[in-house]
Amino acid sequence: MGLSILIWLPVVSALIAAVFPRELTPRVALGGALGTLALAIGYVASFERGAPGLQFLTDETWIAELGIHYKLGLDGLNLFLVLLTALLFAGAFAWANRREWERPKLFFFQFALAETAVLGAFLAQDLALFVAFFDLMLIPFYFLIGAWGGPGRVAATTKLVIYTLVGSLLMLAGAVATGVIAARGEGSVTFVLSELQLVQLPEGSQNWIFLCFAAAFLVKMPVFPLHGWMPDGYRAMPLPVLAVFSAVLSKVAAYGFLRIVLPLFPEASVHFQDLMLVLALLSILYGSVMAFTQTDARLILGYSSVAQLGFIVLGIFALNAQGAQGALLQMVNHGLVVAPAFFIVAVLAERAGGSEDIRDMGGIALRAPLLAAMFLIVALANLAMPGSANFVGEFLILLGVFDAKLVFAIVAFGGVVLASVYTLRAFIRTMHNRTGERVESRELALAEALVIVPLVGAIVALSLYPQLPLARSEDSVRASVRTAAAIAEPPPAAPSTPGGPAAPGQPVPPQGAPPAQGGAP
Amino acid sequence: MAIGWYLAVSAFVFCIGAAGVLTRRSPLVVLLCLELMLNAGNLALIAFSRMHGNGDGQIFALIVMVVAACEVTVGLGLIVAMYRRRLPIDVDRMRDLRG
Amino acid sequence: MSATTYGWLVLAFPLAGTVVISLLYNRLPGRTAGWIGTGAIAASFLSALGALFMLLDHGREERQLVGTLYDYADTVGVDAQLSILIDPLSVLMALVVTGVSALIHLYSVAYLASDRGYSRFFAYLNFFVFSMLVLVLAGNFLLLIVGWAFVGAASYLLISFWYRRATATSAGIKAFVINVIGDVGLVLGTYFIFKHTGTLDFLGTFEKVPDEFATNDGDLVAGCILLLVGACAKSAQVPLHTWLPDAMEGPTTVSALIHAATMVTAGVYLIARMHPLFEQAPVAADVGAVIGCVTLILAATIAMAVTDLKRVIAYSTMSQIGYMVMGVSAGAYAAGLFHLMTHAFFKALLFMAAGSLIGAMAGTQSLDRMGGFRRAMPFTFGCFVVGGLALAGVPPFSGFFSKDEILLLVGDRGGWHWILYAVGYAGSLLTAIYTFRMIFRAFLGDPVPEARELEQGHVHHAGTPTNPMTGEEEDTDVGFPGPEHHIAERSLPMKVAMGALAVGAVVGGVVQIPHVTEVLHDFLEPTFSESELYEAHPSGGLTAFGLALGAVVALAGIAIAHRVWVQRPGTADRVRARLSGLHRVLVNRWYFDEAYDAAIVRPAAAVGRFAQQTFERLFVERTLMGGATGIVRAGSSAVRAAQNGFLRYYAALLLLGLAALAFYFLLAAT
Repeated sequence: MGLSILIWLPVVSALIAAVFPRELTPRVALGGALGTLALAIGYVASFERGAPGLQFLTDETWIAELGIHYKLGLDGLNLFLVLLTALLFAGAFAWANRREWERPKLFFFQFALAETAVLGAFLAQDLALFVAFFDLMLIPFYFLIGAWGGPGRVAATTKLVIYTLVGSLLMLAGAVATGVIAARGEGSVTFVLSELQLVQLPEGSQNWIFLCFAAAFLVKMPVFPLHGWMPDGYRAMPLPVLAVFSAVLSKVAAYGFLRIVLPLFPEASVHFQDLMLVLALLSILYGSVMAFTQTDARLILGYSSVAQLGFIVLGIFALNAQGAQGALLQMVNHGLVVAPAFFIVAVLAERAGGSEDIRDMGGIALRAPLLAAMFLIVALANLAMPGSANFVGEFLILLGVFDAKLVFAIVAFGGVVLASVYTLRAFIRTMHNRTGERVESRELALAEALVIVPLVGAIVALSLYPQLPLARSEDSVRASVRTAAAIAEPPPAAPSTPGGPAAPGQPVPPQGAPPAQGGAP
Repeated sequence: MAIGWYLAVSAFVFCIGAAGVLTRRSPLVVLLCLELMLNAGNLALIAFSRMHGNGDGQIFALIVMVVAACEVTVGLGLIVAMYRRRLPIDVDRMRDLRG
Repeated sequence: MSATTYGWLVLAFPLAGTVVISLLYNRLPGRTAGWIGTGAIAASFLSALGALFMLLDHGREERQLVGTLYDYADTVGVDAQLSILIDPLSVLMALVVTGVSALIHLYSVAYLASDRGYSRFFAYLNFFVFSMLVLVLAGNFLLLIVGWAFVGAASYLLISFWYRRATATSAGIKAFVINVIGDVGLVLGTYFIFKHTGTLDFLGTFEKVPDEFATNDGDLVAGCILLLVGACAKSAQVPLHTWLPDAMEGPTTVSALIHAATMVTAGVYLIARMHPLFEQAPVAADVGAVIGCVTLILAATIAMAVTDLKRVIAYSTMSQIGYMVMGVSAGAYAAGLFHLMTHAFFKALLFMAAGSLIGAMAGTQSLDRMGGFRRAMPFTFGCFVVGGLALAGVPPFSGFFSKDEILLLVGDRGGWHWILYAVGYAGSLLTAIYTFRMIFRAFLGDPVPEARELEQGHVHHAGTPTNPMTGEEEDTDVGFPGPEHHIAERSLPMKVAMGALAVGAVVGGVVQIPHVTEVLHDFLEPTFSESELYEAHPSGGLTAFGLALGAVVALAGIAIAHRVWVQRPGTADRVRARLSGLHRVLVNRWYFDEAYDAAIVRPAAAVGRFAQQTFERLFVERTLMGGATGIVRAGSSAVRAAQNGFLRYYAALLLLGLAALAFYFLLAAT
């Protein structure tokens, strides 16, 4: 029962908010979002470290003939992603309260429906349920962008929706095939993930099903070269919508890899490992180079996200515990950094006469030291400066890739240097140097500070203690990667020397490089 | 008489009505031909009722007449509305509802 | 309290200083922020002293203590705790850093008094000291890397302190990016080492090195060379040195603290700390020694030609760090760290004196416009001379003993190290020449108008404030320098700070006179106990020869400088005309910046432009996305064609369908 309340609370409170007069609707909807956040914090606090399997389980049979269960559960993989979602949606709701919207009841209903769908996708433990929530995620955004977006919204929405739906359709085909093929020989079809994991699908089927899922997820994130919808989409979205879209929705796709693809299709994951790593690397480099040349602030963040998601995919497809832990931590980090970044872009635009082009900005730090400090912290976190949790994530990701495929790690480091270039360039062009012509610098207003400062505070807190999510997710991550990792790098037959420094359960032997495999590109 | 004759007449009238619906451009005439088709159906129903010897077909025919009456009311109302707004009374030119 | 508790206090005070000043930044009247900052660092220095005494209480075998706060990232085989290592090396570094920083803070209290960003400056400066202390006290690789990066961030913030100047912000981003390249080298080097040792903890790693790695093992050499990349970036060694001259855009006290005394010495500290790794991979150590040698001579040649006062001192820093890097790479650990300490004293002193002189010139930094300040600024002149004598290596100043000890131990290695020895002494000659070129040009000769004004008792004031490099007009609000300029002669805090450093520069050599007092060598021994190179003892003959040669070279250099720039004023111009090609190369800093621009910056921008204009448009939008949406659009158009709005068409379809159905059932019935 408990987790269902968490999922459906936003929508229900939006429906309640619709009953109120239109001036109060935004506040009531915000209240619902804050309530969801409180619930999420409660779940994180009462999560038991080290307990195996899913916690707070809800398991009802939904469609018995197809073996689809309404199954929800929290474990190390989705615990902090759920908290991230609740936190960022609350922030976005608060930001949306700053201005008047046309047809506010409908707007907040769609926004709340989006939160519900995302939470459902994170908590679903049944493949069909996951696919349902994943596709449900798209519908409110279609309306939010199409009806309340900026210029060019209709074309942008159409492109975005069609492109994403093509991927989703492939994923649906893959999911159905998984259920059916897994049932052969067993008798009854089931879509429950824990049961599907016990079945080993034939390798040929795994390969094409993997490609279907990968298509859907890669489009969503987006990852090079399937990112074509991003520039127009990002330009057209209203800002609070954009903040959660970039921060949270992309993570559902990355999480899908860890939750579904790696455990269910391990042979295919190994088979396509090189391809995915190459795509990830290209994303990192291409996204960084593009971010460096953009002048639209939203697109700088958009291409930066492409690069960051490239790192996350890199970590996932290192197919070892370190890479996956790093990827999971980085998912939380990136979401936590990119949402306040977008809010800051909005604040900057307001001070530059409404323009979001960085050529119109400059010297905004002059009368706005708090804004400058917040932006600096966000920028340093974005470029994964050591000392931030982003660095810990990247460190683990690159360590994982370094162990798996050395050359990829070395090239990926180029992305780290490029990230510092484009992030700092954006910071300097907007905040420093001579004041732009239409710029009138002023400090953060209370409403703006109430959203930005707590989020930045969360970034700093996580940077001081990244062990918090890392400790809770370690077991689930190991379980997720275990099968694929064993296929990618089989542990040696003889046991390692006693008393070696290896952490328990680590498949790689502590002494010397694994024979002929570790360094081979 | 053998039922076949009645069915033949019914088919004949039906075809005339269908031809009219497909070829005439005035909505009034289209409605008229529609009526022809419905009544052809009625005829067939009554004939079958006579053949089987129970009243099912006749009752069904009554229902068809009710439906026909309602549909004609709506259709004529539409035509009057079109006329009042000085729209062309031409089925080929009223095609805004398209994809 | 134990040594590690004092260690945490050393870190806590500057951090508290930063936080307090940041939170109260616009409520602190007058110079309060400055005094809070200085007080915090002074408290930190006292805590470092406490740590020193507590450490000395332990027996010689137990002088490597680790203190841990909590687990930072202890997962999937990575063991990163928040832990500090208190041992003689880290305590020495902490003392040098906090001591010199406290004096520089004191100087800054007066020097920046009229700047509108006063509080912000001290918050940044305290943050820098905190970061540097994290770096030197770190007990594992991860915390070292964190300190390393924080120092780079603090350096960026302080270089672009006057952030409305485009020259300052571009210098800042250049420094930051090169620093990130160093970070990458450091992380990658850590990976190579971690792969074999399985632990990030320093003491744990050093214990495992002899077992896990054969001498010159490929992975270890790669790891050490990557660590060297990090060291070179941070310490401005060739080829990652181009950021240091540009970093002079920051206020002079920043140059004194960061780019002379502390941050740039981090590379030296790193190599000394990692000595077990370098000794097991002598190839990498040799590479380090060569890099140090090349840098020291290259920087010395450039310093002979540039005319910006601060940049001369910057290149001299680069050159002296070259000595230190060469020393610690070749195994002269105590000597290298000794030179680090003495260099901190006299280089900070030189920068402070330069700051005073620039203040008298109302912001101008060009030597071409300076001259004859000896009578107007006697105290500054005295500090310059003391610092210059120490830098040139004239006995009995501190620089003489430290530099000669390095060269002595390097030469003692024998073999091809004699080349390094010879180049080192050649560099010493050049050092003496360019140092006194600077002093003679600025202080001797005919007084320039600003000097005459000062002799009358009035500090020169520029009409409209301008950027000294480009001449652009500015104002004196936040983001640009303040309206007043301060000189040492009129400011007690500045005098006290400079005086203390001058004393250190003069007598600091006492702690390590070869064969007489070996205080430093003995003190550092517990850190270097397993090192074979540490106990090297050069012969008395070589020692005496080295000391004599050093003194002669230094005095000869001063004499040459005196002849060229004081006795025969036209000589410099004649030489420049004769060797104009060489002069051009030197003034353009051996064209490193231009090479990097052509090889890296321009191609990257071109790739970016290509990606944006061509690739994105044609491939991604038209083909990929256009393809998918195109197919969907085509499909939907085809289906839409069936809804054409013709009533009769619909009716016909209806009838056709009905007929087909009837036909089917008719056939099925037969």
